[in-house]
Amino acid sequence: MDLIHNLKEVFEIDAKIKNDFQIEVEAKKELVSSILLYLKNQHGFIHLDHMSCVDWIEDEVFELVYIVWNPNTKKTVLLHTKIDRNKPEMENIDTIWDQANTYEREFREMYGIEFPGLVAEREFILEGWTEMPPMRRDFDTKKYAEETYATRPGRENAEDVREKIIKRTGEEIPDFAKKYSRD
Amino acid sequence: MSILNLKGILTPLTALKQMGKEPHTINFPDEQKNISKIYRGFHHNDLDLCIGCGNCETICMNDAIDMISLAEIAGEPGDSGLRPRIDYGRCCYCALCVDVCPSGSLNMTSEFMKVTPDPYDFLMTPGKDNPEAVDKLSFTADMDTSLNLFDRVPMRELDPEERVKSFAEVFLGYNEEEARIEANRCISCGLCTENCPVHMHIPEYINAIANADDEAAIKIIYDNNDLPEMCGKVCTRRCEDVCALQVRGEAVAIRWLKGYATTRAENAEMIAEIVKPEVREPNQYKVGIIGAGPAGLTAGYYLALKGYDITIYEAQKDPGGMIMYGIPKYRLPYDSIQKQVDYMKKMGVKIHFNTKVGKDISFNEIYDNSDAVFMGIGLQDAWSLGIQDEDAEGVWSAVEFLGKANAGETPDIGKRVVVVGGGDVSIDCSRVSKRFGADVFQSYRRRIQDMPADPEEIEGAEQEHIHIMPQTIPTRVIKDEKGHVKGMEYLKAEMVSEGGGRPRPVAIEGSETIIECDAIIAAIGQKANYELLPKEIADKLEMVKDKIKVNEDRLTSIPKLFAGGDAVKFGNSDAISAIADGYAATKAIDKMLMGK
Amino acid sequence: MTREKETTLYLGPQHPGITGNMMIKLKVSGDTVVSAETHLGYLHRAFEKLIERRNWLQSFTILCRFCVPEPDPIELSYALAVEKLEGRAVPERADYIRTIVAELARIQSFLLWYGGQSGSGGLYTLGQWSVGDRNYILDLFEDLTGARIYHMFMWPGGVRRDLPEGWVDKAYRTMDYLEKRLDDYNKLLFDNAIFQKRAQGVGIIPKDKALEWGVVGPPLRGTGIKHDVRIDEPYAAYDKIDFEVPTYEGGDVWARALVRRDEIKQSINIIRQALDNMPGGSYYNRIPNPMKWTVPAGNAWAKTESVRGEIGFYLVSDGSNKPRRAHLRGAAYAHGISVLEKILPGENIADVSFILNSLGVCPPEMER
Repeated sequence: MDLIHNLKEVFEIDAKIKNDFQIEVEAKKELVSSILLYLKNQHGFIHLDHMSCVDWIEDEVFELVYIVWNPNTKKTVLLHTKIDRNKPEMENIDTIWDQANTYEREFREMYGIEFPGLVAEREFILEGWTEMPPMRRDFDTKKYAEETYATRPGRENAEDVREKIIKRTGEEIPDFAKKYSRD
Repeated sequence: MSILNLKGILTPLTALKQMGKEPHTINFPDEQKNISKIYRGFHHNDLDLCIGCGNCETICMNDAIDMISLAEIAGEPGDSGLRPRIDYGRCCYCALCVDVCPSGSLNMTSEFMKVTPDPYDFLMTPGKDNPEAVDKLSFTADMDTSLNLFDRVPMRELDPEERVKSFAEVFLGYNEEEARIEANRCISCGLCTENCPVHMHIPEYINAIANADDEAAIKIIYDNNDLPEMCGKVCTRRCEDVCALQVRGEAVAIRWLKGYATTRAENAEMIAEIVKPEVREPNQYKVGIIGAGPAGLTAGYYLALKGYDITIYEAQKDPGGMIMYGIPKYRLPYDSIQKQVDYMKKMGVKIHFNTKVGKDISFNEIYDNSDAVFMGIGLQDAWSLGIQDEDAEGVWSAVEFLGKANAGETPDIGKRVVVVGGGDVSIDCSRVSKRFGADVFQSYRRRIQDMPADPEEIEGAEQEHIHIMPQTIPTRVIKDEKGHVKGMEYLKAEMVSEGGGRPRPVAIEGSETIIECDAIIAAIGQKANYELLPKEIADKLEMVKDKIKVNEDRLTSIPKLFAGGDAVKFGNSDAISAIADGYAATKAIDKMLMGK
Repeated sequence: MTREKETTLYLGPQHPGITGNMMIKLKVSGDTVVSAETHLGYLHRAFEKLIERRNWLQSFTILCRFCVPEPDPIELSYALAVEKLEGRAVPERADYIRTIVAELARIQSFLLWYGGQSGSGGLYTLGQWSVGDRNYILDLFEDLTGARIYHMFMWPGGVRRDLPEGWVDKAYRTMDYLEKRLDDYNKLLFDNAIFQKRAQGVGIIPKDKALEWGVVGPPLRGTGIKHDVRIDEPYAAYDKIDFEVPTYEGGDVWARALVRRDEIKQSINIIRQALDNMPGGSYYNRIPNPMKWTVPAGNAWAKTESVRGEIGFYLVSDGSNKPRRAHLRGAAYAHGISVLEKILPGENIADVSFILNSLGVCPPEMER
């Protein structure tokens, strides 16, 4: 396919066909804005469909995904890039697509990713938030909710089925087995 | 557009014609809305059908469901005794709880209105607080729509025509793919653990298998069962009787899954490598064990791990007791037992074979030189049929017959064999006889559905063309002039129900029938042989009928003498109960000697 | 003319003209909007974060709550994404049922839109009618799924329940009834001088910018650009059904309204075809035990066409029994913020709600 060939030619990146409508490509973060511009201007991917962010905490990276669409060929390109989670910074692309501003603003608030040059109020959805950016994997929603909100009384007599049976049988579950118990 | 858009002003006025029409709305509460047949309203729980598995609680993503004790429900094996209570301040009426309820007890009703002055009054125990709603069930999940997977992955087995030709294993065991799918069916409630005499960690090892972590499964399995590969092939699997899925469908194949996991460890070295049990420093205590059957081996293995000096005395040349000599090789191959025993030996279990206590070594010598003694001697002697001429040549006891067959010999049983009995041992005798080329008839006093044998085994026997003769009562052995069996006379029986108990077979007078045969195998039960005990011990040993009386710790009436297995009166007479005895005794002995 | 003083006005979060819990900070000069800024944060429920803590099936109880007026396409997008990740096949019958449910969802949402669009223009009668008629669709949903609004019905592998007895007939009858009602609606709205005057030339999205701005759905088709996910990347049974995608030129509220008006007819047409050609067989390709159901690692991008435009799901699995990331792209994410902020300046204050309704702005899609 032309596009895959051209991407290889121009950027030395390997795009692969994901399915009938989608092409997937991964690139270094420095290349992202050039690739997006190239896709928009040279290949008709004028529609920024979506941007997403995934926290790969175990690899210490954030993955940013740019999904662009070509209204003529009806093809979609998913462009993935990875950035350092410890110093999360990414190029601002709202000059290419204005609505990227909203996405970047959200990622800044929810993941703590900085987009130098992004002009937008810092507060977007959250208000007076002092905890870590909440969409990060290490932010424990349940723990936060338990610490922040009171529970309604009347449910203290709940019991656990497995515990109940263990009480009757005296079974001793070794520690190494517990991770496979029902949670 | 003109300044005065006359049409645009007048056309909307046609709306006025709607004024005389029937309204969309209904006059509530005088009229009631027609409610969908599958409306997702408040829940109703059939408290008797519910088994308290808690799957509803687990799937509830809003934490709306608590499992609570109800005064009127005690709980028993197969029922945790807990019932769901729902917080309607959290419930989102998604009905996932209904779709995952294995028993089908939890359903939703067409009731959706509740008015209360108490703002905290959101908790309801379905079925208890709204028993009348049973008439308004709407959203339910039948076998087809339920998200539970009720069908078991079938076990592949040898073709009946093929398998009677040799002693090759009949059940081929799950392969990896089958095991993962089968393990995935488990809902991890743990009800099964209560019915397992050893209380194995069943949900945990099944989850490990489902997670493709077979090594963790093996490690979890060996935590309280030292002969799991044996159990994975021939266990009486009472766990499966109380599986949450068997209420409406087929129980999870717990036995086959255990078999799958344990056979992944191909030899003793691999078992040791994977299990890596915690081994305590050796201590100064000695424990003597009589009998290398499941009970003795279990006590030996777990005591050895705890640092005790263990010696097992075994009269036979091979370990395993009844699982070696009683269970046919097409169910439990020799190598499988040997592999597990090799592993135990690696862990410090010493076994003296061909050492009959009372003959090669005296009971007192063991008793006096040990800090504790465990006795797992099993049931050595057969009950006789108690009919005329049963001393004829060609009348076998099951123990004798299977012992010979399992030792690799070919018992002389001729061409036509009658097996008497209805338990697993009798089926074993029939199927073994078949493998020696005989035409086999099995006589049982009651109906086939009354047979205590595992239904799978009965089915296997039928596939192998074993002729089961239900409702027949043997009356006499017929022998030829040389004193050899040539037939058996029996009476036909009819089933009589009296006073609620299970129906009793009563012989029909005049129905005497003779079946010709070359051999008769009596498989109607065994009894213990206590000849090994010196008189002063035997006299002091308290018994319950013909079995040894033990307490919860499997301690007999004699100090520091523990016992387990088929010869004691505790639980059932099967291998897994023997393992449970050995395991319980281990803990008690450890407590007695080490104080912990 | 003297230059009038600029005033700041806050439209929402509590305002009958707003389309949900959001606020628009308007700078106005006289009656004219000088600039607009969308403010969110009144309902953030962290759905996407919550989904990361739910297993693949439990997620469905959250999915439908992203957008109250139209929960089904969100469920469907998610289900399609899971099916892409897993390679799970869907029986043909399920595809047809999904098509019907998706179109019923579109119709009921259109009917709700009728209420919002006419109400924000001061025409309240039509809203009463259309919301009343919408309940006949909800009745169909209730019979099919057990619930009126939140269905949790289109699961990976198919649909949750088969069509109940008598449902097909009821669906035909409801379609016949609705079709007749559309004439009444037209008389009340499209033939209405007030609506014509208020809708025409208002809230214009320029055709040459629409795609670049991220405009989708009826607002895009209202600029004359023919793009519809059902045609461009067909899902469910849409590739087996014959229907038209109406477009109108102009890019104003009027064009968007005409597109929607015509689309209801198309939806009725689609439902009839799907009912006519409903195949037999299974409605569901069974998933494993939901508590142990793991989905192969990878990512998937799936979208469906809702009344407000395309609803996409970017779904990531790390191979576990829970999604690693589930990111919704609702039509309103662009419509309600960047597009709105671009087209409001120059409009009359009284038209702001009117324009909001025509764009189908749904705040829960913006702050998920």
